[in-house]
Amino acid sequence: MDRTQFLLALSVALFALGLVGVIIRRNALVMLMCMELMVNGVILSLVTFAARTATASGAVLALLVFVVAAAEIAIAIPIVLLLVRQRQTLDVGAYARLKG
Amino acid sequence: MESVLLYAFSAAALTGALLVLIARHPMRVALALIATMLSLACIYALLGVHVIAVFQVLIYVGAVMVFMVFVIMLLDTRDPSFVNRYSRLLVPGVLVATLLAAGLGHALARHYVAGPVSTSPADFRLQPFSAGFLREYWLHFELTSVLLIAAVVAAVAVIQGRGGRDG
Amino acid sequence: MHLLTAIVVLPLVGFLVNGLAGPRLGRGFVTAVGCGLPILAFAAAVRCFLELTAAGGAPLVTDDYTWAEVGGHSFPVGFWFDRLSAVMTLIVTGVGSAIHVYSTGYMKDDPGYARYFAYLNLFLFFMLLLVLGRSLLVCFVGWEGVGLASYLLIGFWFEDPDKARAGKKAFITNRVGDAGFLLGMFLLYHAFGTLDINQVQTAFAAGAPLAVSADLVGILLFIGATGKSAQIPLHVWLPDAMAGPTPVSALIHAATMVTAGVYLVARLNGIYQHAPLASELIAVIGVLTAVFAATVAVAQTDIKKVLAWSTISQLGYMFLALGVGAYGVAVFHLYTHAFFKACLFLGAGSVIHALGGEQDIRRMGGLARRIPLTFATFAVATAAIAGLPPLAGFFSKDEILWFAFASERGGSPLLWGVGAVTAALSAFYMFRLLWLTFLTPSRMTAETAHHVHESPPSMTGVLVLLAVLSAVGGFLALPQFLEPVLPEPAVRASLARFETPLLVTSVILAVAGLAAAGLLYARGPARAERLAARFPGVQRVLSGGYFIDGLYDLLITRPLAWLSARVFLRAGDQLIIDGTLHGLASLAQRTATRLSRVQAGGLQLYVLLAGLGVVVCIAWMWRHV
Repeated sequence: MDRTQFLLALSVALFALGLVGVIIRRNALVMLMCMELMVNGVILSLVTFAARTATASGAVLALLVFVVAAAEIAIAIPIVLLLVRQRQTLDVGAYARLKG
Repeated sequence: MESVLLYAFSAAALTGALLVLIARHPMRVALALIATMLSLACIYALLGVHVIAVFQVLIYVGAVMVFMVFVIMLLDTRDPSFVNRYSRLLVPGVLVATLLAAGLGHALARHYVAGPVSTSPADFRLQPFSAGFLREYWLHFELTSVLLIAAVVAAVAVIQGRGGRDG
Repeated sequence: MHLLTAIVVLPLVGFLVNGLAGPRLGRGFVTAVGCGLPILAFAAAVRCFLELTAAGGAPLVTDDYTWAEVGGHSFPVGFWFDRLSAVMTLIVTGVGSAIHVYSTGYMKDDPGYARYFAYLNLFLFFMLLLVLGRSLLVCFVGWEGVGLASYLLIGFWFEDPDKARAGKKAFITNRVGDAGFLLGMFLLYHAFGTLDINQVQTAFAAGAPLAVSADLVGILLFIGATGKSAQIPLHVWLPDAMAGPTPVSALIHAATMVTAGVYLVARLNGIYQHAPLASELIAVIGVLTAVFAATVAVAQTDIKKVLAWSTISQLGYMFLALGVGAYGVAVFHLYTHAFFKACLFLGAGSVIHALGGEQDIRRMGGLARRIPLTFATFAVATAAIAGLPPLAGFFSKDEILWFAFASERGGSPLLWGVGAVTAALSAFYMFRLLWLTFLTPSRMTAETAHHVHESPPSMTGVLVLLAVLSAVGGFLALPQFLEPVLPEPAVRASLARFETPLLVTSVILAVAGLAAAGLLYARGPARAERLAARFPGVQRVLSGGYFIDGLYDLLITRPLAWLSARVFLRAGDQLIIDGTLHGLASLAQRTATRLSRVQAGGLQLYVLLAGLGVVVCIAWMWRHV
């Protein structure tokens, strides 16, 4: 297999692992970090294609994704902080207010 | 040589990702993630996309993960999520992710068409890249700054709550 | 409106008025309406009777009113007044009115006075429908209706669960018989397309081949008659029916309702003349019932129960007569029996009234001097039922025994023999009753003895009237009067010479019964009780009515109750029906609970579901892209 295919496979793996992490980890902060992992997987695929086709737009897109990820974390963390302040715990299971 | 490095950094990235899933203390998770990101930066550099490699380290590791580490240090991590680190959806989650990976992997394996490789290597060094970036994608650049301002305002609004409670 | 219709409608009006407005109208008004209307009906019946005889027996007919027209079938309602109907109507309205008058005295202190008269009038209405009906359908409506009225009146004091249960038992037992009646009607309608009595009988008289077997129809209709007239095996309700007020027992369970079965067979003689098997069955069951009930009556200790079993026995006689083709004679016995049995029941009511509610004859005695009028009428009626000449019962009973012996349509010495034994027993137990109640030294408690008083004139007047009729009623040549409608059967010529000896034998038997009763009971029940103590088993069997109630309970009631409780209630209703409903409801609830977990705010579940969705999309793309 050539380099691109390999890296795309790596990207899929990172994305899947990130998804698993979001679903299975209980700590809110760890969930956020797993989401970052997913985004990293995606960026990897973008960069792979950028390198392969040698266009600048791929890299630009990767850069923009960086910015978005940063903005996202900037808002997500305060929200998590508020949640923690309200529920006194980082356990995501305790955040479900609506009982079945 | 190059492929060996590639495989090594890929292995490092995967290991880091797995440790993210397995580690109990959030600080260790953060460190594992940082390791993954650094490995990815190395991969980018290996690919020749130096700009993105640098920005990966600067923005992602240097800003995002540092922020994360600060927050982890702020909050009390010894709560129920420390003791039971996995949720009730452990098995279904692993299952779904495996299926997803399998599906995508299958598509990758069977339907991958090796497209044309560019003959002239692109210049992903900082100076040529940024010149080209600002010449052609300046609008996108401005929009991202708007996005960032919106994010800052939102963060302040979220923390302040209504009517200036202390945040 | 034709006079016949008036006869039927007058009691109905009485029922409606007393039933709807009775309690508010005051006792006098209720009495006036409740007694006056039946008396008016009797007057109308007399008028119709005179018209009938003036016309030489040609029947009066009303116009038909169509009840229903379904498809090609029409069901008319009409009334028919021939000689047989005339006799029945006069008995029903005449004895009925007398008993209404008696009730004004008997039920004087009862809070349900208006309701009582309403039900009595309702009963009269249905009974008149029964005897005047021109088609079997109208007859059946009356048939069912008297069953209903009987239920209402037996369970009149419904607060007592035993009495209410007696009413239910009567109704349900009747219903079993009615099933037979209905099946017979269905067969007749299917075969001839009409239920008009005359048309049906003409069709049978037209000869073979018949569309339906006369025997089958005869047996089915007779099953209905067994239910209504308390013959074996559906006799069990009549003794229990004594729970109702005594005038009710007199009217319904002695004079009129229980004779409906006899009337039905007599009216449909056109069928039974062509149904030898059915007739034989009727005769056999009739005579068996007669002797069986007589043996049970010997051991009864409640004054009304003795009379109830006696009624069953006398009805058996009537069916014996019907079975051997002597239809007119059966109706003759019906007519005389109405008089003396009503007199006996009303006399018993007078005794009970005098003793303040005591009904056990072991605690009576010595009443002859204290309530002389009641005693005199009771004695006359007792002599009549025992068959002592020249009272009414002698004539009718003797004719029945004669035809049982000699009729060409099934008479046999065996039937006569059993009938004769029954006659002796009847005399015996009736005189036993007379002695123990009136003539032996008093066994009453001091308190009861203190309160003994003669009944008011409204009651004693009726008693006197009925006693007189019991005495002289036999001289009315009823079978001859009914001859055109109910022909007498031919008698075997070879046996004609036995007529007088058999007559003498009947008288001897009656006297023998009287003597035996006098011997055993003249000084009180002690002698008979010593005799009974030597055969305790026999005593128990007889007083328990051969335990037939127990048998029915074991064979029918308990299995049905088990079936209802275990199969239908538990399995069918609770498990299947309720279970399905509860199951569906709980299924909906459980599903909702499970589905609502999606709404509970579980973040990771949402991500999982999103991932699942993506997987599905990828899988779909595999197949289609």
